[in-house]
Amino acid sequence: MTEEALFRKLEAEEKNDEFIAVESQTFLQAAWKNFKSNKRALVGGIVLIVIVLLAIFGPMVAPYSYDEQNMALRNASPSADHWFGTDKMGRDIFVRILYGARISLLVGLVAAVVNLIIGTLYGGIAGYAGGKVDMVMMRIVDIIYSIPSMLYIVLIMLMFGASVGSIVLGISISCWIDMARIVRQEVKSLKEQEFTMAAFVLGASSKRILVKHLLLNAMGQIIVTVTLMVPQAIFTEAWLSFLGVGISAPQASWGTLAQDARSLIQVYPMQTVYPMLAICITIFAFNFVGEGLEKALDPKRKR
Amino acid sequence: MNNEAKTNVKPLLEVKNLTKYFPAKGGKEVHAVDGVSFTIEKGETLGIVGESGCGKSSMGRTILKVHEPTGGRIIFDGEDITDFNHRKMMPYRKRMQMIFQDPYASLNPRFTVGDIIEEPMIIHKMGTPKERKAIVQDLIETVGLKPDHIRRYPFEFSGGQRQRIGIARTLALKPEFIVCDEPISALDVSIQAQVINLLEKLQRERGFSYLFIAHDLEMVYHISHKIGVMYLGNMVEFGTSDDVYKRPLHPYTRALISAAPVADPKQAKEKKRIILQGEVPSPLDPPPGCPFSGRCPYATEKCKIKKPDTYEYDGRKVACYIYAPENVKQYSDAGKTPEEAVFLK
Repeated sequence: MTEEALFRKLEAEEKNDEFIAVESQTFLQAAWKNFKSNKRALVGGIVLIVIVLLAIFGPMVAPYSYDEQNMALRNASPSADHWFGTDKMGRDIFVRILYGARISLLVGLVAAVVNLIIGTLYGGIAGYAGGKVDMVMMRIVDIIYSIPSMLYIVLIMLMFGASVGSIVLGISISCWIDMARIVRQEVKSLKEQEFTMAAFVLGASSKRILVKHLLLNAMGQIIVTVTLMVPQAIFTEAWLSFLGVGISAPQASWGTLAQDARSLIQVYPMQTVYPMLAICITIFAFNFVGEGLEKALDPKRKR
Repeated sequence: MNNEAKTNVKPLLEVKNLTKYFPAKGGKEVHAVDGVSFTIEKGETLGIVGESGCGKSSMGRTILKVHEPTGGRIIFDGEDITDFNHRKMMPYRKRMQMIFQDPYASLNPRFTVGDIIEEPMIIHKMGTPKERKAIVQDLIETVGLKPDHIRRYPFEFSGGQRQRIGIARTLALKPEFIVCDEPISALDVSIQAQVINLLEKLQRERGFSYLFIAHDLEMVYHISHKIGVMYLGNMVEFGTSDDVYKRPLHPYTRALISAAPVADPKQAKEKKRIILQGEVPSPLDPPPGCPFSGRCPYATEKCKIKKPDTYEYDGRKVACYIYAPENVKQYSDAGKTPEEAVFLK
């Protein structure tokens, strides 16, 4: 073959034909793709969505309210009318569990918001400021952490009465501590990176550096921590209610439901199993989603 | 040029006796920068060379007030900015910028290229969003990237491309003075030339002044008008790049230049290398005398006790007793230059 047949000059439009690059994806697009490929996380996510929808709309369409008693039908077995049967007062267990889901999810939501706002900002400021400010802020955190949360939850209950508001307040006081510590650590290491110095030299304010450069880069870690903190808060509420320091009858939380059914556990064990199952499924779902997010948002996977 | 005219021309940047100590464990201090003085004129490049840990980068960062200076003065365009706070620095931030060493760490990984280049203009409230977008487009092309790169993320680019993004970000503010903190040491040799050519082109077109920090002597000689040699936080020699590179005066500069590799093997064989003994002293506990006295083959007792001043000799500044006026006179009385008298003995 002649040289001419082997080699020929490329036409102008052909020159870019071999341009190789990964498809441009935003950070969230890439994370979502990653998350979708994780079956466990996806199932967890779907279960969570179902739980949320049931908690919001279930009680609206249910024929009974959570405290509607039917003395003629006590401790009934599951039936078409009462899917999970009734309790010792003749109240529909399924409807009560739906109401319990509302309380649990409310507690979880508040915990998430507190974590995101207080935990993130507190940890972010401590980590960014460093030095004495950091020292003082972290010692305050240590003090809050060293007092058993049970103590102030009981105190709050005594002051404001046993209500959903009191227990949410009690849990909010301490649930952001872990988040603050994690964010502080993350910010401290990000602060040493050159892009933070670049932003400083460009004249960026501390607020801009903290929010746009440090916290934005810690976002993956923050989202993961939130999804792992929410089930913890839900569990705390259930556990406190079970012990009798939380929400009290006739209001229905999963903890109180389990507590109510406990006296009849030998006769009607299923009455205890339903609320416990609800707690388990919810917490598992949150943990699966958290795990999935942790993998999907890990920046090391992409570089 | 007569003396009067000389004093009327203000240097763009004047650094006087700049000192930066970092606190260390046990109440000690790291003497990162220990009394450095120099000037940079408009449109000029000052190359700073020295081995790792000699305080080059700390000096560059202190000039831009990333670190608060411990002592000395920083005078930019006639204004003493040493004690300026964040608010007062803002107009100067626009004029004094920095290009970073590590193109992988100096760009926020969560920002698109467009966001990165636009950010300085947002910070300084320059233009409307539409105008800013146009400037970003323009800058992207100035540094040799493609317009469709704007929506991409830094991790999709190579080191050289990222360094260009960093340069575009700096250009967005239209600065006059840029600290280049080893901007090419993290890049491949072929890419180094591209980035250097870009920096030189920008200097020609826009009259930038550079403080070019590097440890590659050849490169610094190639790009700089003046060279400053640093050792253990001190500027030991400062002069025009031809003078310093072709006729080094300070014993440390001589050793440094003799250690630079030569491309031609024949020349390399003939070349005499000065091998230094010992190690760089710790900046935690610098020697009381000349910082180089412990390793200097020509050191005398005096060198080990008292730190030499910076002497003017042959149009440049050298911090070595060999060039002290009384010694120079003594040598010239014997009919020799100090170099002949000391180094060729």
